[in-house]
Amino acid sequence: MVVTVTARGPARAEPGLWALFAAGGTVAAFLMPVHAAILGIAYAAGWLPADALAYDRILDLARAPLVKAYLAVLLVPPLFHWAHRFRFILRHQAGIHRARRAVAVACYGTALIGTGVAIALIVRI
Amino acid sequence: MTAPPRTGGLLPPMPRTWWLRSAAYRRFAARELTSVFVLAFTVVMLLFLLALSRGPRAYGRFLGWLGSAGAMALFAAILAAGLYHTLTWFRLSAQVQVVRVRGRVVPRGAVAATLTAAWLAVSAGVAYVHVWW
Repeated sequence: MVVTVTARGPARAEPGLWALFAAGGTVAAFLMPVHAAILGIAYAAGWLPADALAYDRILDLARAPLVKAYLAVLLVPPLFHWAHRFRFILRHQAGIHRARRAVAVACYGTALIGTGVAIALIVRI
Repeated sequence: MTAPPRTGGLLPPMPRTWWLRSAAYRRFAARELTSVFVLAFTVVMLLFLLALSRGPRAYGRFLGWLGSAGAMALFAAILAAGLYHTLTWFRLSAQVQVVRVRGRVVPRGAVAATLTAAWLAVSAGVAYVHVWW
């Protein structure tokens, strides 16, 4: 038997938002620790070769088309991962049950603004 | 079969600190909280790209900030939250996604171990391009 459930309004967006949350969680799981370790720990501790983060070198790297695509994957889906979890942190841990629609719009809206900023920076660099 | 009691939607509200009650609830809250550090990471990476796009002087100032104690503390927190997210996410993925090979269900532990191995390989590749390419 096939049951078709037709959702209306915000509920119809839920599976898509959940898919973005899951994709962002997977991207963050695979890529966030290595970037945090390189930029935040290894650089400050002086473990990197002298020119590893040199301006010209990093600029060349960031201008390579494949690296641009990589940066879009690194930066965009994790924003929606945050948006989804933070939306439910506000409800479940902070106990804010009112204005659910406004909370969702604020969370995903922030992720959308971050997406715009990320794409603009990646394209223009 | 007994019907559930009718409460008219007037169930007593959960106390706000329900998630402090047990270790499992606290771990759930910690997993959710890692997302705040995911946002912090994304914002820092956007600032990195912004500095890079503005030229060598702005980029130099960003590198100066990267060397500061405050940035190191922030990144240490991002790294700790990131590692917790990574390892719990792989366990979670193994629970959510049943993987079959030739019709046989792969044990969850093997799925999580494969993801962890893939993560280490990807991290090594990213580090190589980022630092030594």
